[in-house]
Amino acid sequence: MAVPFGYVLALAGIVVALGMVCAVARRNLIMILLGVEVMLNGAAIAFTGAALRWQQLEGQTFVLFIIAVAAAEVSLGLALIVYLYHRTGSLDPQDYQVLK
Amino acid sequence: MECNGFPYLTAILLSCVTGLFAILLVPEENRRAVKWISAVFSGLTLAFAVAVFVLYDTGRGGLQFIERAAWVPSLGIHYLNAVDGFSLPMVLLTGIVFFTGVLTMWELEHRVKEFFAFYFLLVTGVFGLFMSMDLFFIFIWYDVSLFPMYPLIAIWGSTRKEYGAMKLTLYLLAGSALILPAIIFLHVQAGGSTYDITALMRPGTFSADDQKLAFLLLYIGFGILAAVWPFHTWSPVGHVAAPTAVSMVHAGVLMKIGAFGVLRVGMFLCPEGWQFWAPLMATVAVVGIVYGALVALSQTDLKYVVGYSSVSHMGIVGLGLSTLTVEGLNGAVFQMFAHGIMTALFFSAIGYIYERTHTKMIPELGGLSRIMPVASGYFILAALTAVGVPCLASFWGELMVFIAAFRVYPLGGVFAVTGLVLSALFLLRVVQRAFYGPANEKFAHLKDVSFGLGLPRMILAAVIVLFGLLPSILFDVIDTASVAFIRGLP
Amino acid sequence: MTAAATTDATLIAALLATKLPFIAFAVILVLTRSRPRLSAGLSLAAVTASLGGAAFLLVRHWGLGRPIEYAAQWVAGGDVSVRVGILLDPLSLLMLAIVAAICFLVQIYSLGYMAGDPGFSRYYAFMSLFAWAMTNLTLAATLLQLYIFWELVGLASYLLIGFWYEKFSASEAGKKAFVMTRCGDVAFFLGLLLILVHLGNLDIRELNGPAAGRLSPAVVTAAALLIFGGIVGKSAQFPLLTWLPDAMEGPTPVSALLHSATMVAAGVYLFARLFPFFGRSPAALDVCLAVGTVSMLIASTMAMVSRDIKQVWAYSTISQLGLMIMGLAAGGYAAGVFHLTTHAAFKALLFLCSGVFIHAFHSNDMFVIGRQGGRRLRVPAACLVIAAAALSGIWPFSGFFSKELVLGALADLPNPLWVAAGLLGAFLTTYYTFRLIFILFFPAPRGLEVIHSQGAEHSHPGGYAVMAWPLMVLAAVTVVLGFGEHAIVQFLSRPFGPAPAAAHHAWLPYAAIGLGAAAVWLAWFEFGRRGAAQIGFVERVAPLHALFSERWYIDRVYRWLLDHVLYRVFSRLCAGSDRKVIDGAVDGLGQATASAGGIMSILHTGMVQYRLIVVFVAIVGLAIYFFV
Repeated sequence: MAVPFGYVLALAGIVVALGMVCAVARRNLIMILLGVEVMLNGAAIAFTGAALRWQQLEGQTFVLFIIAVAAAEVSLGLALIVYLYHRTGSLDPQDYQVLK
Repeated sequence: MECNGFPYLTAILLSCVTGLFAILLVPEENRRAVKWISAVFSGLTLAFAVAVFVLYDTGRGGLQFIERAAWVPSLGIHYLNAVDGFSLPMVLLTGIVFFTGVLTMWELEHRVKEFFAFYFLLVTGVFGLFMSMDLFFIFIWYDVSLFPMYPLIAIWGSTRKEYGAMKLTLYLLAGSALILPAIIFLHVQAGGSTYDITALMRPGTFSADDQKLAFLLLYIGFGILAAVWPFHTWSPVGHVAAPTAVSMVHAGVLMKIGAFGVLRVGMFLCPEGWQFWAPLMATVAVVGIVYGALVALSQTDLKYVVGYSSVSHMGIVGLGLSTLTVEGLNGAVFQMFAHGIMTALFFSAIGYIYERTHTKMIPELGGLSRIMPVASGYFILAALTAVGVPCLASFWGELMVFIAAFRVYPLGGVFAVTGLVLSALFLLRVVQRAFYGPANEKFAHLKDVSFGLGLPRMILAAVIVLFGLLPSILFDVIDTASVAFIRGLP
Repeated sequence: MTAAATTDATLIAALLATKLPFIAFAVILVLTRSRPRLSAGLSLAAVTASLGGAAFLLVRHWGLGRPIEYAAQWVAGGDVSVRVGILLDPLSLLMLAIVAAICFLVQIYSLGYMAGDPGFSRYYAFMSLFAWAMTNLTLAATLLQLYIFWELVGLASYLLIGFWYEKFSASEAGKKAFVMTRCGDVAFFLGLLLILVHLGNLDIRELNGPAAGRLSPAVVTAAALLIFGGIVGKSAQFPLLTWLPDAMEGPTPVSALLHSATMVAAGVYLFARLFPFFGRSPAALDVCLAVGTVSMLIASTMAMVSRDIKQVWAYSTISQLGLMIMGLAAGGYAAGVFHLTTHAAFKALLFLCSGVFIHAFHSNDMFVIGRQGGRRLRVPAACLVIAAAALSGIWPFSGFFSKELVLGALADLPNPLWVAAGLLGAFLTTYYTFRLIFILFFPAPRGLEVIHSQGAEHSHPGGYAVMAWPLMVLAAVTVVLGFGEHAIVQFLSRPFGPAPAAAHHAWLPYAAIGLGAAAVWLAWFEFGRRGAAQIGFVERVAPLHALFSERWYIDRVYRWLLDHVLYRVFSRLCAGSDRKVIDGAVDGLGQATASAGGIMSILHTGMVQYRLIVVFVAIVGLAIYFFV
């Protein structure tokens, strides 16, 4: 491999971490969703690198699955957020503590 | 159910339960009916208890009136009742305190039906525990007698009733949380087939280390109920908060369950553990005797004084149990009986006074002897009993315990005996402040206790004097058990 | 153990004498409280039966050699069996007669003294209680039985001292008496336990017999000292003496009966009872001798400055009891017991006479009574002088003979200190006694306020006669008893075999008479003669006066101990530890649980991101765990 597998994993790890931070630390429902998206992308990077490392095409196939699932999940999530916004007028997670 | 002759013990339990259901069937408004039903059924219970006491064969001794039925045979749980020299005085005590307690609450007007229902449930549990020879049932009865205390105190109580009720219940449940593992531990160590005490009692069932561990757990667990220092603080608070009859049962009987539990479960099943921990028991008991008296010296509430006096007297019981001798056991069981009656009289007398004057604080009372001489006389009689005047019941228990204690723990015996001076000091001080002195004009219009209302107090006073003059009635019974028990020790 | 009964008559007499008063007590307390005359009648009937029984026994067994004992079992448990029994020997027969006689006379006197009191029935109930307890104490065959009745006598004393319970001082005095004697009783009880543990039983005859030789000297000394502690408490010796003057709050007949003649004498009686046992321990006897001496002298000093008639006699009682103990501790068994006998008679007489004055003039202060013309009550005055002469040891009254015996026993001791102390005590006794007589009957002319005779005539004539009759009986006894010294001493000493010839101290009677005369002269000089200032030589020395009238500050010490040590330190410590430490821990446990719950509940905020954090942390943790 031109790029050592370790570096790919490191990149994937950083992207996932960034996604975690974004999901946890932003005061906006849409940003939580975005964070999850970013984490999924990080996972995709890891899979691609793994496919190259072990010369198995299943890795890249799985990335296509991830992209499709992410798209579906984001559309569902955004639909939910739009509905919630219409109901409560707020995108702040602090306002959604009914299940305390 | 196997039983020789009339099943008196089950009859006692049944009369309590039947009384309970009868009360529940009466409409709430018909308070007189509730009270009369309670009186009748508690009288019936007392009659059975006296019958059992009288019919017990002291020549033969041992367990009598045995009733046995399988309950959950696969788990080894049996409904097993019996009385011996140790539990017989307790059964009699419970009967007397139950009956006089019902009579003492004759003037209750607030939620009468529920009160007597809970009260009957409470006493059922107590009777069951004294009579049962099956470990599992002992635990069940313990909890049955425990949980009615909470509503009884929280609803009908006085000073700080919610706090007192909560504290008492939680503390005693903590005690049961120590007892249950010990019971299960013993059950498992013995093979896991039975909870029957008579079967588990056989020497060699448990190893010495098992016994030491189990006895410690049982001692602390039951000891909490017996107001063993330093686990005693629930008791004065509970005494003060509870309504009169509940205080009578609480101090008179419930605390005896603790000591009795140590005896029946701890000492019977783990004799080596008992012998190992006896010095600790003695130390704690002596501390309790002196400590209780010292704290009582600075109390201003009548019930607190009696509460701490109870702690002190239960220390005498604990001391007797820790001496490993026949006299000690005799004295301890006798003292349990005598103290139970005496405390019941104390609270009954205070109850009458509180009903009339609406205060228990000593500085506010005064000169009551002039206004209500008979009611004051009952309290003074109880106070003299607590001081240990001879020819009143408590003297004999204390005498035997002190003799035994002096033999085995001389130094502890010396300290315990000084408790006599302290108790005289604080009790006579209370009598002087609350009863002697010029009549308090605030209370000058109050009437003395009538014959009907005075009946429970009269019964209790008569019992104290009777057993003070003729203690052998009780000692002969207790002796059959204690001699056999000590001789059978490894 | 049960010796053969001579005849049943003895047993019946003994039982009647000791059990009937209890029945009277029970009946009066429960049934006849609203009928005072019936109550008094019941009580008197019982005590008359006691007196009859006692007299019968004394006369019948005058020639008694070996003691008679009856025994039965009261309680048995394990190794401990509490036996009760009746032990009849010269000492107990004599004491029973004394007790029964004085109870009888005082109860008759009380008919007049307590007439009209709302608590009349209650008074006689407690009098019967006392009579029962005291007679049983006298005839007790075992030490435990004696202890039981010892405590009951203390109970009767508490109830009777605080009889007028509406007075704070009375209930306070009753409580003080009970608690102080309790302290002594605790010592007694410990001594009793010590003997029980080492000897196995508490039979009095065994204790006095050779079987007690099994005990090691250390145990004997310790037990003797502990039992003596009980005697110190009951007989109000130093340092437990301050309850007795306060006990004068009770009605005067009570003071006469309990706190002079009988109950406080129970301590001395116990000493005499266990005389052979105590004799085994010379160290204990030395301590007893010292304590008796100190008590005797201290109490005499206190009496010298007191204004209250009853207080003077109370101090005098302490002092005379000290003298009795000195006599017994010096080995003079018959001397001590004979002095107890004569003292019972003349001290009761002193109190009863004083009671008439107090009843008539409504004051205890001797100066007030004197000024109001105490002289006018002839019979009490005469009896008072007779009794005072007996107390001072003036011939031919009984006190002279008994004091001579005691001083003789003291003179037998190697150390002359004791007899010197005894003589000093006699001097002081005569001095304060005649001080009182002179103040009472020869009041200072200034301030001779002749209050109208309504004060003197206030006593009902009928009641006065009832009260006068016991006075005269006791006065007659006081005059005559001294001449029975030889017979009584022989009677008492018979169980001990022939008495060794006592050393004859010829100088002793002359010394005593001389000192007595000097004391009377001094008292007359200071108080009696016309124009006397009526201030004693002690009162002129202010620090001494303060010391004596403050009872040597003993009460202050006790008050300080009680308030500052017991209440402020120990009681507060324990109460505080209960509230803050133990309860603090328990309540703290509850609080901690509640707080923990509160903290834990933060995790359950509804906010989704906190939950996400938890999820991510869990995942990372698991990842590390599995792959690292």
